[in-house]
Amino acid sequence: MSIQAEATRVIELFQFPFMQRAVLGGVLTGVMGGMLGSFTILRQLSFFSDALGHSALLGISIGLLLGINPSVVLIPFAVAFALGVTYLLERTRLWTDALLNIIYSSSLAIAVIVLSFVGQYKGGINNLLFGDILAVQELDLVFSGLLLIVCTIFIGLTLRTQMLLTLNEPLAIARGISVTSHRTAFIVLLSLVVAVSIKSIGVLLISGFVVIPACASRLLSRNFSQYIMLSAALGGISAVIGMVLSALFNLPSGPSIVVTQLSIFLVAALLPRFRV
Amino acid sequence: MKATVLSVEQLTVYRESYAAVQNVSFSLEEGTDMAIVGPNGAGKSTLVQAILGILPRAAGEITILGQPLSQTGVLAPRLRQQVAYLPQNFLFDRRIPMTVEELVGLGWDRLGMQLPWAGHKQRRDAIQTALDRVDAGHLGHQLISGLSGGETKRVLLAYCLVFPRRLLILDEAPAGLDMRGESEFYQLLYQLKQEQGWAILQISHDLDMVRRHCDRVLCLNRALLCQGIPEATLSPDNLAAAYGSEFVRYRHVH
Repeated sequence: MSIQAEATRVIELFQFPFMQRAVLGGVLTGVMGGMLGSFTILRQLSFFSDALGHSALLGISIGLLLGINPSVVLIPFAVAFALGVTYLLERTRLWTDALLNIIYSSSLAIAVIVLSFVGQYKGGINNLLFGDILAVQELDLVFSGLLLIVCTIFIGLTLRTQMLLTLNEPLAIARGISVTSHRTAFIVLLSLVVAVSIKSIGVLLISGFVVIPACASRLLSRNFSQYIMLSAALGGISAVIGMVLSALFNLPSGPSIVVTQLSIFLVAALLPRFRV
Repeated sequence: MKATVLSVEQLTVYRESYAAVQNVSFSLEEGTDMAIVGPNGAGKSTLVQAILGILPRAAGEITILGQPLSQTGVLAPRLRQQVAYLPQNFLFDRRIPMTVEELVGLGWDRLGMQLPWAGHKQRRDAIQTALDRVDAGHLGHQLISGLSGGETKRVLLAYCLVFPRRLLILDEAPAGLDMRGESEFYQLLYQLKQEQGWAILQISHDLDMVRRHCDRVLCLNRALLCQGIPEATLSPDNLAAAYGSEFVRYRHVH
């Protein structure tokens, strides 16, 4: 097949509403993931997004068991779960990574047991693990769009507070900032982003959206504001490129986006003059 | 009569199960430099952190710039902004991509909800003026991770300077500097204090510095042992009470 015919095929593919929804969904998730991810990695919460992703499987399986739409169950589940984990972290004062490991492996275990009672799930476990971005519905886009607006307003209006909190907590507390309420607000937002994206990206890949663009942006940025904006932009751009690649070569879409993110990261890492 | 910037009445603060600060009362007037001295574990940092609302207090009243600090450590943002605090060790993750300008700018912000571009020009000018004043104008675009110890302290002073403050609270501010760096730091601090009319409350281990520069001194060892002007307060008897008699003999030999 000639290049021209190939290009026509891809362009035609993007005429389909499901494909347009998929691209838009990917971009929304990419931008949100990149924006919150920039703070997530600096606060060393990367593993938290991973644990949230894995535990989302438990939320989905409970939804399936009760016969409720998993998208509806997932949002309150993820928020409650995130708050529960934060509470446990503060109460036990154990190492964050150790505690998160307990939580994600046990929620995965419980989820698989619950799923065994559900019987045959029509989407299959594969869709839960790696997502099905082509199955994104309009309602999902509405959720994602609203959440992106909330994230942008929240990060925008509290940007300076977030920066000081990330830099040095005592300095922030002395300026009258409530660390606990800000931490909780951030974690709730992060869990919402994970919850609305899980259907399209899958429980295994979601943390890539949070971590990889942010790390690439870190390697390319010379100041904080640039870092956050670039991180969000790289998240969005890699979603578009990933979707085109997946259409072009007939590859699964979520993994294609993550591989695109990885390529951007590698380029950033190999550019010596920018490395700080 | 000078206005009172800070007043502490019968303050008691618990750490774990013991009273790290017991029944401490003092007041600080504007333009005054007050040092808190005492041995390790005397509750100096605890006292300062309770004043800032970082640690909760068990009893007592704290009044900052005429307003009581609530039990939960809340103070009106307008007043909060007039107080600056430098912790003992300014530790941060060196991988955070923040420039000197961005850090100093955080000292200017009120830190409630605000648009990121609010007061952009005013803010930028204030940052530049503050950085120039501490001789760090050329560092503005540098990442804070690349600063030396002395540069970091100067930038932190710019963070205090960037907005008009009335009270500076320093917890062993020059910690980590060598002797020359320390003396340069104090020189700059006292020039700025003169210009800005800051009241300063600082924890210090350097009794010679306290004698030379400070107007008032608090001798603390859980409870307040004595307070007053340095010459009278740092007498051998008082020091023996605070630090133990061996320390005083050691000081007199040298």
